[in-house]
Order: sequence, then structure tokens, then C-alpha cells
Amino acid sequence: MDILRGKKRSSSIFRVVEYFLTFLVIISLNFALPRMMPGEPFLHYSGEVDELVAFYSKEQIQYYHEYYGLDRPLHEQYFSYLKDLAEGDLGFSYYYKENVRTIILRRLPWTMFLVISAMGLSIIAGIILGSYSAWHRGKWQDSVLYTALVVFSEIPAFLVGLALLIWLGAGLGLFPLAGAATHFANYDSIWDKIADMLHHAALPVLTLTLSRTGGIYLLVRNSLGTVLAKDYMLTARAKGLKELRIRYVYALRNALMPLCTRIAIQLGALIGGAILAENVFSYPGIGVLMRSAVVVRDYPLIQGIFLVLAVGVMVANMLADLAYKYIDPRTRPAVIGSREMEEF
Amino acid sequence: MVLKNIFPGIKAVWRSLDISGKVSAIILILLIILAVFAPFFSWLPHERSSGPPLSPPGMPHLLGTDELGVDIWAMICFGARISLAVGLGTALLAGLGGGIIGMFAAFKGGWVDRFFMRLIDIMIALPNLPMMIVLAAFWGPSLINIIVVLALFSWSIPARIVRSGALSLKEQPYIKMASHYGAGSFYLITRHFIPELLPIVMVSMIRLAGKAIVAEASLAFLGLGDPTSRSWGLIINHAVNFKGIYFTDFWKWWLLYPWMFLTLLVTSLALLGKNLERIADPRMEKLAKWS
Repeated sequence: MDILRGKKRSSSIFRVVEYFLTFLVIISLNFALPRMMPGEPFLHYSGEVDELVAFYSKEQIQYYHEYYGLDRPLHEQYFSYLKDLAEGDLGFSYYYKENVRTIILRRLPWTMFLVISAMGLSIIAGIILGSYSAWHRGKWQDSVLYTALVVFSEIPAFLVGLALLIWLGAGLGLFPLAGAATHFANYDSIWDKIADMLHHAALPVLTLTLSRTGGIYLLVRNSLGTVLAKDYMLTARAKGLKELRIRYVYALRNALMPLCTRIAIQLGALIGGAILAENVFSYPGIGVLMRSAVVVRDYPLIQGIFLVLAVGVMVANMLADLAYKYIDPRTRPAVIGSREMEEF
Repeated sequence: MVLKNIFPGIKAVWRSLDISGKVSAIILILLIILAVFAPFFSWLPHERSSGPPLSPPGMPHLLGTDELGVDIWAMICFGARISLAVGLGTALLAGLGGGIIGMFAAFKGGWVDRFFMRLIDIMIALPNLPMMIVLAAFWGPSLINIIVVLALFSWSIPARIVRSGALSLKEQPYIKMASHYGAGSFYLITRHFIPELLPIVMVSMIRLAGKAIVAEASLAFLGLGDPTSRSWGLIINHAVNFKGIYFTDFWKWWLLYPWMFLTLLVTSLALLGKNLERIADPRMEKLAKWS
């Protein structure tokens, strides 16, 4: 990101202001959207033929008008919206007859489980394959791996997911086709329950891992390639250090530093992938919730989910920024320049 | 001046593509032909039933029919038009808009530049798909809306490329010289900057087109596409929502063929884009990684 923006990495205060601005934009967007809708907002519904058709009762329309405060002046609406948010009130979902916050909190763990395990697995796979490629640079192993992973990283997650569902789920019958656990099952022990849940999560996690590994692989491969060409690698060899030590302590550790920010930047795309993968496998997380909220036009719920996801991604980016400063001594002040970083 | 060089240019580009790039280019050209001449390739109607529902591939239904008896090959032919329209529309809109913004930011400098750079950072920090779902939900899922939403989320890439390109061009001696001889901003932009920056912007537009096609297919797959235009994503959506499709044989044509065409289109666009990036500017590969 920084190489494109220009010269220096901006100071911490600047970053904080930037994140605050982003936060404000997200909230304002969320505020503006229902008010920008053409016509009478709550009479609008799609012509899509689906099992669920949006239908609003009189009291529901009245609730929406009250909730959005459409009869009051705009600035008053905005401040009462901010006040509600500050109190953690995301509104009330008419379809589920529950508070939006309660619904989201119940579904969030499933999505987080998918996202975190896919992220962990793709990082591990990416590092292993990327360093394998870098050490075999110019040989056939590298070019085979490179082509395969580039192709895989370009196929969108839901297409990969559909293929896995058809092949491993429906064709070979190895995995369940939908859900996060077997319905009405009686488990003998807690381990059976965990095994059942892992069995259900395997395909969605595999889908996300497959579509995410390519990006990390490319980064590790390129960054390790740059590190291997550095003078200190030659020094390490001249000192007669063991190959393992050179590879893992000298090369890999230095090559992995840019991974930190990269992962945070990817998080937005990973969440997008998770929404799709959940819908492919009917996995009961935020993505499926969001889709059904859109189908029944449950506006407070749609907005609540968007807010949670956007703020989550933003916070992850902020943490990555801080972590990068902590890990990489080159970004600390009073160093001659940040030219080294620009190579990544 | 640009046009005069197009034919030798294409030849030179073709020669420097690697195998994956060449195959992708051929597949893309075939798919474009399929889209443009869709009525000639499909002899059955794509909007209404033309036979028994759910019949397997054979004659006259080359790739079978869906649950309403609509011919799948016809739907694929006409669906190609939607994918290409979305890709082309978004790439043109975002490439043009982003290009103008990037050029403007580079020329004005100062707070204008800073404003747009911050805006780009904010756009990058927003998770795209959830944002698109929200916008599609609130604005209604028409094809035009989808293209506009996608363009709103993709202009930042050409804008950054044009800005950084223009900034480094501004320092070139020949530009400075022209400027000292009295060339105005308009002359400089049309005579020097645009011809110089056009190739890399076009390459980034190919990448944008690929991303837009994926995004449209994703939205359609979620049931948020334009319900009046049967894109490949929407065919997949209908197939997946058919109860018990995995327990029958129907997926072997209803789901598989649109899946195959979509994967083919997206992968070849991406591979061609990667190839062209490498040719247009070896530095681009690094830049594109961060987008």
C-alpha cells in the first residue's frame, strides 16, 4: 500500500485520524443508505421468485419509520443514530422478532471459526509452498507450483466451493452437504460432537483455504526471493552456518515480515469469500444470515451485519499496522530511511 | 498516433505472451464471439420453455434444460452477454473515472492529492462484498445499478496507477523541456501523458473487468443479481436452490455447464491480465499484489 501512496509511512497520529475517518464514513454510509432509497422505502421489494417474499405489516412499517426517525430533521436523525450505536443498539429485526445485536452475536462465532481456521491453514500452506518454491527457483517444481497456485487464486471462492460440494460432498459422499452439525443428534461424548462439527466445517474451510493460499504463497515466494539475494545470506554461508539455520532463522524470518500487513489487507476479501462459502454450504454464519436478511428486506439486520463486518475489518487493519511497527525495527523512527520496505 | 501502432502492437504483445496467456486470449476471443453472435449460436429461445423440464443433454437441447424447460445452451449464450457487459461497463467507467481522478490528483497536488489518496485508502479498507450486498439491497438489483456499484469500488486501482505514473513522468526531462517551451497542461496531458499511460491503464482495466465479472456472478449467486437478466451466476443460483439437486443427476448439466463457462472466463481473464501486466511494466506485478 505504501509504495503506491508515495514517500514515507505516515506518522501514528495520522493513521489514527485516518482510521477514525474510515469509521465515520462507514457509519455515515450506513445512516445514509436507507434514506437514499428511491420512493417509499418500505414498499420496495424485488420481483425475484423465492420462497420468502417480503411483506410488511402496518406496525412493521410504523416501526421502521420510528426507528429511522424519518419524520424528524436529518441532523437530529443522525445524532440519535450515533447515540443508539454508542449504546450498542443496532435496532430490532422484525423478521426474527429479536434484537439485531442478539442475532448477530449468535451467528458470529460460526463465521469467525471459518475465517480464522481458513486464515491459519492458508498461512501455513502459503509459507510452506512459498518457501519451497523460492528455494527451487528456476526449476520445474517452482514453475508448476506457481502456475497451479496462480490459477487457483484467481478462481472465486464460491466456484471452488461448488466444485468441492459436488465432487467430495455429493459425488463421493465424504462430507455432509449442508449445515454446521447433524440435526437432532445425540452425542456419546463431547469429542463426538467436536468431530461432527469439524466434519461439517471441513469443506467450507477447505474452500476458503484454497482460494486464499495463492496470495500468501506469491508474497512469501517473492519476498523470500529478495531476501535470498541479500548480502547477509552470503555472510551466513561464509560463516559456515548450518543449512537449516540459514533457511529458517536468517531467510524465512526476515521474509515473513510483510506477511503481517498483507493478511490484514486480505481480511476483507476473506470475509467476502466466507459469505459466499457459507451460502454454498448452507453454513449458519453471518453470510447466510445476511442473505436471508436481504431476501426478507430486514433493513436493520442488513445494516447491523454490514457495520459489524466493516468495523471488524477496520480494527484488524489497525492492529496489523500496530503489530508491523512492533515487529519490524525498520519502521521505528530515527532510522535512516524506509527504502528497504519499498522492495516489498 | 496511438491508433497507427495498434496492429504491430498486437503482434508484438501476442509474441511475448506465454502459453497460458495465449490459450486465455483464444478462449476470451471465442467467448466474445459467442456473446456478440448469441442468436446465431442458439437456435432455441433463452427466455421461455422450449421442451420438457430437466431433460439431459442431447438433441435438440445441447446442454439439457432447467426446471422450467428452458434450454441451458441458449441461456449460456445470452448470459455471456451479461458477463461481458458488466465487465466492459465497469472497466470503462472505473478506468475512465479513476484515470481522470488520478491525473487530476497528480497535476493539482497539495490538498486535492491528499484528499483523493485518503479517499482511496478508505475505499480499500471497506470490505467490498458486504458493501455491494448492502448497496444492491437498498438500490434494487438492476444491471445498471450493479455496474455503477462495481465501478464505485474499482476506480481506486486505475487512479493510483495513473497518479503514480503521472508523478514520475512529470519529473522526466522531456516533459520539463516541453513545459519550458510553453506547453500547457492540456497539451501535455493529451500529447504525452495519455499515450504514455494508456497501456498500463488498459491492462489494469482487464483485471478490473475480471473482478467485476466475478462480483456480478457472486451477487447473482446470492440471489441479488438482476432478476430480469439471466446471467451465469443466476443460472447457478437457480440450480443450487432447486431442492435436492445433489441427490439427482440434474446438476450434471444444470449446474456444471454454467460453472464451467464462468470458471473458464474468469480464469482466462485473470491469466491474460497477469501476462499483460508483466509485459506492460515489470513493476506492475508488485503494485497489483496490493490491490
